[in-house]
Amino acid sequence: MCGIIGCVGRDGETLETLVHGLSKLEYRGYDSAGVALTGDGETVEISKKAGELDDLRAALEEYAPAGEVGIGHTRWSTHGPPTDENAHPHQDCTGRVAVVHNGIIENYQALRDELATSGHTFRSDTDTEVLPHLVEEGLDSGLDPDAAVRQALTRVDGSYAVAVVVAGVDAVFAARNDSPLVLGEDDDAVYLASDVPAFRDFTDRVVYLADGEFARLDGEGWTVTNIDGETVEKTVDTVDWDPEEAGKSGYDHFMLKEIHEQPRALRQCLRGRVEELGGNIEVGDLGDLSPTGVQFVACGTSYHAALYGAQLFQQAGIPAQAFLASEYASSPPPIGDALVIGVTQSGETADTLSALREADKRGARTLAVTNTVGSTAARECDHVFYIRAGPEIGVAATKTFASQLAALNLLVLAMAGGNARDIVPALRDLPGDVQALLDDSNAEAIAEVYEDSSAYFFIGRGYHYPVALEGALKMKEISYKHAEGFAAGELKHGPLALVTEETPVFAVVTGDGESARKTIGNVKEVEARNAPVVAVTDGASEVERYADHVLRVPETHPRAASVLANVQLQLVSYHVAKRLGRSIDKPRNLAKSVTVE
Amino acid sequence: MSVQTAVVLAAGEGTRLRPLTRNRPKPMLPAANRPILEHVLDALVDAGMQRLVLVVGYRRERVQEHVGPSYRGVPVEYVVQHKQLGSGHALLQARDAVDDALIVVNGDRIIEASAVESVVDAFDTDGVQSAVAVLERPDASRYGAVTLHDRDIADIVEKPDSDEYRLINGGIYAFGPAIFEAVDETPRAAGELGLTDTIATLADEARVRGVRIGGLWVDATYPWDLLEVSAEILARGRVNQPQRREGVWIDNDASVHDDATLRGPVVVGPDCEVGPGAVIGPEVALGRNVTVGPNATVERTVLDVDTRIEAGSTLQDTVLGQDVHLGVATTIPGGPSEVRVNQQVFENQRLGAVLGDRVRVRGDASFAPGTLVGPNVTVGTGTHVSGTIAEGAEVVR
Repeated sequence: MCGIIGCVGRDGETLETLVHGLSKLEYRGYDSAGVALTGDGETVEISKKAGELDDLRAALEEYAPAGEVGIGHTRWSTHGPPTDENAHPHQDCTGRVAVVHNGIIENYQALRDELATSGHTFRSDTDTEVLPHLVEEGLDSGLDPDAAVRQALTRVDGSYAVAVVVAGVDAVFAARNDSPLVLGEDDDAVYLASDVPAFRDFTDRVVYLADGEFARLDGEGWTVTNIDGETVEKTVDTVDWDPEEAGKSGYDHFMLKEIHEQPRALRQCLRGRVEELGGNIEVGDLGDLSPTGVQFVACGTSYHAALYGAQLFQQAGIPAQAFLASEYASSPPPIGDALVIGVTQSGETADTLSALREADKRGARTLAVTNTVGSTAARECDHVFYIRAGPEIGVAATKTFASQLAALNLLVLAMAGGNARDIVPALRDLPGDVQALLDDSNAEAIAEVYEDSSAYFFIGRGYHYPVALEGALKMKEISYKHAEGFAAGELKHGPLALVTEETPVFAVVTGDGESARKTIGNVKEVEARNAPVVAVTDGASEVERYADHVLRVPETHPRAASVLANVQLQLVSYHVAKRLGRSIDKPRNLAKSVTVE
Repeated sequence: MSVQTAVVLAAGEGTRLRPLTRNRPKPMLPAANRPILEHVLDALVDAGMQRLVLVVGYRRERVQEHVGPSYRGVPVEYVVQHKQLGSGHALLQARDAVDDALIVVNGDRIIEASAVESVVDAFDTDGVQSAVAVLERPDASRYGAVTLHDRDIADIVEKPDSDEYRLINGGIYAFGPAIFEAVDETPRAAGELGLTDTIATLADEARVRGVRIGGLWVDATYPWDLLEVSAEILARGRVNQPQRREGVWIDNDASVHDDATLRGPVVVGPDCEVGPGAVIGPEVALGRNVTVGPNATVERTVLDVDTRIEAGSTLQDTVLGQDVHLGVATTIPGGPSEVRVNQQVFENQRLGAVLGDRVRVRGDASFAPGTLVGPNVTVGTGTHVSGTIAEGAEVVR
């Protein structure tokens, strides 16, 4: 997981453009950063630093590389610890070639041994460094830079998005295989990056590269070719969101901003798709898929959404299961004629992509539920359904989870039918209900009470089970505290041994049905061990009698209640993390979209 | 133009507009189907402002979430006024965010771009350090009243007792950067720092240009004023939705049944749904995601975001907050009525009812003209409601 950027044609502003781009890509990695510009001399001019982007900025005060063409990189370590040496760009022995890379080169050890034997000196522990040396070999054998880069890439196995500059050549060479890469064109400049926000301040015209494609960016613009050197016709897309939407708008953290954006994100997700008075759901041709079975593949927060989605389909009479994508890819179940649905915010999650590819290989129909138009998942799957949550910058997913749940409700209504009469009004009310909750939430006060707890447990049943898991994941991600989510009924089968006076238990209980009564039984078990209980409830049941604190959600349909309960838990995690002084938007060891397996 | 930065004062609650301001500040109340603040920002952007500084305080997340980091491509910065201690104090919070000449406006009063331009022009050409918009109003004693000497401000008085004044302070100011010091030095009156006190002092010491402005200038003091404001906005067609025919604007993402009747002026916002047989208008604004059920009748009414009106309901002269649900056959007949706000009684107001955010009316309920209902109130079936209902109450027959 790393972010790469490149640009050509920003006369005199190359360095500023690169650093600005890196600042927008920090969510992809932030343990080291660097830039390389072509300069005037025999060698490429490079500056790189371990640490956050500010450390690079400080280094650039001392020494600022110059040139008309440049590349940059923000790193999240996979091979070798974050040090100055391991930071990208990497160079060959002569300093003529500089390479930035996102992905993993699987056969790097063999290549490295081979190159070292033929006299190349390696300075870092990274897999990437074999690339500049391979390019150097090509240049030495008389190839032009274009051909040298191509030849180098034919030698490596694995996933990559790479960008290469060569001293004395005013061009950037780039290619992708299993890692995201997108081009941007302006009137007189061209850009490339792992993600659009990196250059969205300069242009909204973008070209998405496909796997196996090779691009050259120079003063003339861009050309895309395939592996055989034949020109590929690419369409230029226009991205319609505002770069400033990535700003914090006066909030302390992106996460809090994105929590408050949920009413708007939900309205966008539902827009034009739900008709209450007529009871119609409009999702294009997805309604005609009529699957006989569904398999979800997803990771992290999206996996929790998938668990919820699987329950929706089951309730509608369609057999459905949710799988962790990484497990699915290595030991796939029999698929039959099931529809395989990949849930991924970024559309670039490597584990989810490989699970979807595995399903595709077996002839399954695939559907991507994603937030990112033009992402790899969106392009590779047979069908795509966008959740339209808008860009999410905080590493901890918040609004995209809410939008995923809403989107899955629409999908199940469209594909499996069922009783729309109750759920459709509840979905239309959902943005207002979330707003009501945000206006009145007491989560901050509860966070104050429990900030010093040794562990946090979350329990829920049915649709609230994924919410319990998600509540625990948020708490882990941003507060660095131990937290676990359990199916409420599972508590007594083991985890209850962990419950003490020091460990608050958050119980999600809404409505007053069978499920609520059973969960209340589990709450009493907890209460008997003197653990503090925080009930997340709509007040319909008697759970408040057993709770030390209450987080209130508006009364609504049980499926919509899960979205609401989750918002309260997001707020609790946020405020606990804030009180503990954590790096909320960039938690340690984590990156926004994980593009390595 | 020399002035490129505008400071917008958007931190106040607007207590006289309760219960509508329970969850949001006054600038976020609807004028037709968009917040008042959007109209203010439109005027500033149209007048060529390159940078907007919003002073936020009360329920500030509502402003920040709505406006975001930029408005129509103009960058927006936020500064926080933690305690609302007057307009001068609010302006002072923006001190570190502004180095040059600036425009100051109120975020809760609708103005036109031409008025902003007039003030900037006067400031640029006359070589003064301060310029203030003034306009003629018959009811000048309700506002900050002003007298001019030549073209300069001679006197400025907040809500004077006498009715001899004809001109009022239009609430649009242009200042040089020295204004912050002048505000800082102004003595506080009863703990509050009013911007008009500073202007009165400045007018004594140096010239403060009074700039006459015309055009749209509306302010909501009491909840029923929102009906007037919305009517004014609709009459001038200040809405973003595409016009379908004279006085009828419907968003592309709204669905209006073929058998519904829209009587202009009326605006239907995004994601709205209007059922068969509904009659909507004149002077009705539907905010985002509003549902109006079959055969409902809505006249001279503002329905805010996420509101739902079920089949067969009738509403006249009514203002509804966000996410209000009115069950089947709810009836709110219009004014004239007598309305009580705090200790004051207002007679002969044309008002049906004002319902705060998230009021739930179960159905077959009716409201006496002039009823004010607080947020989160639940009204049972078949109930008749009148007077003022406190927040969170449950009204049963």
